[in-house]
Amino acid sequence: MSTPLDRRDLLKLMTASAFAAMPLQLTAAGTAKLYFTADEFELLDVLTEHIIPRDKHSPGAHDAEVAAYIDRMVAEAFLPEDKQSWNTGLAEINRLSMENHKRPFVKAGKSEQIGLLKKLAKAEDDPQTEGEKFFKQLKGATIFGYYTTDIGIHKDIEYKGNVIQEQFSGYEAN
Amino acid sequence: MLLQFPGPAPNEVDLTPTYDAVVVGSGAAGGMAAYVLTAHGFKVLLLEAGKYQDTGKILHSMEWPYDHPRRGRMPSDHHAITLNEYNVRELPYAQNTPYNKVQSYVQGWSGTDYSKTLVVDEKQNPYTGTRYAWVRARAVGGKTNIWGRLALRLSDYDFKAKDRDGYGENWPISYADIEPYYDKVDLYLGISGHPENLPYLPDSKFQRPVRLNASEMHLRETLKGMDRVLTPYRAGVTTDGLKHNKYRSRCFGRGACDRHVGGCDIHAAFDSPTGLIRPAWDTGNLTMRTNATVYEVTVDKDSGKATGVSFLDSETKKSYQAKAKSVIMAASTLESARLLLLSKSSLYPNGIGNSSGHVGHNFCEHMMGPSVSGLMKELVGKPKTNDDGRPGGFYVPRFRNLEGKKSEFLRGYGFEGSSGTTMLPSTAYATPGFGEEFKKHVREYAGAVIDMGAFGEVLPRYENYVEIDPNVKDAWGIPVLRFSYKFGENEQKMAKDMAVAGREMFEAAKFEILSSSNEMLPEGWSIHELGTARMGTDPKTSVVNQFQQCHDVKNLLVVDGSTHVNASCQNPTWTIMALCWRSCDHLADQLRKGEV
Repeated sequence: MSTPLDRRDLLKLMTASAFAAMPLQLTAAGTAKLYFTADEFELLDVLTEHIIPRDKHSPGAHDAEVAAYIDRMVAEAFLPEDKQSWNTGLAEINRLSMENHKRPFVKAGKSEQIGLLKKLAKAEDDPQTEGEKFFKQLKGATIFGYYTTDIGIHKDIEYKGNVIQEQFSGYEAN
Repeated sequence: MLLQFPGPAPNEVDLTPTYDAVVVGSGAAGGMAAYVLTAHGFKVLLLEAGKYQDTGKILHSMEWPYDHPRRGRMPSDHHAITLNEYNVRELPYAQNTPYNKVQSYVQGWSGTDYSKTLVVDEKQNPYTGTRYAWVRARAVGGKTNIWGRLALRLSDYDFKAKDRDGYGENWPISYADIEPYYDKVDLYLGISGHPENLPYLPDSKFQRPVRLNASEMHLRETLKGMDRVLTPYRAGVTTDGLKHNKYRSRCFGRGACDRHVGGCDIHAAFDSPTGLIRPAWDTGNLTMRTNATVYEVTVDKDSGKATGVSFLDSETKKSYQAKAKSVIMAASTLESARLLLLSKSSLYPNGIGNSSGHVGHNFCEHMMGPSVSGLMKELVGKPKTNDDGRPGGFYVPRFRNLEGKKSEFLRGYGFEGSSGTTMLPSTAYATPGFGEEFKKHVREYAGAVIDMGAFGEVLPRYENYVEIDPNVKDAWGIPVLRFSYKFGENEQKMAKDMAVAGREMFEAAKFEILSSSNEMLPEGWSIHELGTARMGTDPKTSVVNQFQQCHDVKNLLVVDGSTHVNASCQNPTWTIMALCWRSCDHLADQLRKGEV
């Protein structure tokens, strides 16, 4: 006799649903949105924090206000297609989330959110689908947006340069 | 305040006198010509197509990216041509693009704000023909405002290269002729480096060298066992200061040099405006006319001598004449060739100075692209050090075709490299995935990466040339250049060897290879174009003599990189200035004797 689910499996499932019950939702930083709707901005904020999250070492993209940086860059973009790609990309993320999890991305559970992004990230060297291409675009913008902030440069990377030095650091060639 | 720099408004400059010399272009060559001749007491008119821009005010070198509204990027209606566009677009590159301003790749991959006013707008300055990444700066000081600073000497391995391998032509000078002038340039402008006593890369009169970090020291030790050398970057930067120049600070190791597309707002790195033009200005012998787009060298029909130049005001497009006893072309290799070819008359139907037919030909440069990126595993996760607070990383001089075994290709190449933490962690874009693991990886690997890329000699070939396009004109109505220029078989073979040798050195150092490439970047990428008005002793196969005077027109000099007989694999700026100094000393002597 075997039950459809043994205890071990049941435990796994429970943990998974516990995660799923706690969606990663972040309050957007106080900056006014220049281009995105409030819903789009919230989604962007959640996505960027997934790419570079807060960890024990340093705050992540949310605290570094990467979404606000992207909002500004997209608002100022010169070519209409450079703006539009963000709207369609964000919509595609929600479409995939609805398709797989019956909920928009920000309402999906954290593990569902990560699972969806992992699928898209698999093809980052050679993205083909709309979603895969958008992931690459999003990741690139998040990297630049994060590592050019006070948090990225000083708290995360702990960059030591851009200071006045009497002598160069390093070793003398012998 | 008669001497207040940069002087009167452009259209108020006095063009009635006949100057001792008119100099076209204000970069490394033009600045040097102006400095040397005014120091000799001669009256010089310096013409520059661009404006005077105070780089101390525009470069903002210590600004953090988060203090800039676009984090250092250009306005969104500006566009920097990408590598992909150079490969797929038809020339002129700026045609059919919606952007208001299009600039060359030197603006950085996504376009950098700081140099956007120094680099030309491709829409105003088109060119045609074969693929070429042509980077031009129109501003007082030209490309010296944003140059890469590697300052190397050539040796007789270069000047007498034909004697060694039979290819091409020898220069009409040897190292002994130019050595005293290299010394003068070193002492007057300042150069940082470490002596290595190499016959093929002579030492300079060095100031305080940059230091090496752990992975670079390790590679230096490894290469000693391979009979190769890694030396601290030889930078055209004053690291100890210059008592004779009040416009330039010594280097304070802020490392801003590369972050803002070259350029040094404290002028520790050499630039022509503070290194040469302001000292020339202070003699009281220099007149500078900015916004002066020269389009022709004028000629006296009876004597055949040059009498001056014609130029347009770059803004009003009104035409002016400047008169001088000698005319000195220093507009850059390709622009000087263009001007010689444009200066056609009954006396000089193929363009002035071009009875040989060699103007525009023998066009050469440095090929680049092959590179290697590695990881010193011992440094992963280690505390960060200040790795980019210096004007450059390291240089691995040429090791091919020196003595003994010959390669499958002629001539050689060197590597430029650096390692350690940069402000924007370069590894982030290539690190797969996302999330905590991604973030940790970027952080821990940021200080452990070492990269180097090769610069190789492109052989001068008559078949590689520029000419005047019969149809296309620039924004000033001046006919543009048409390129017929391609890398050849020697460069292909060299590129393969560069990648192999790069990997071999990193493997010997036990670095983990992250990536390597044997792909050549598009022609022009090194911004080291040379050779289009080469020196020589034979007026049938060369354009200028050893003192850079046109064989056909003795009072017409060409003093920029166009006179180089071959490209060597060493960066050209220091040689341009040493040669120019030598030629202007000679010209001064002739002016004094009334022989010009």
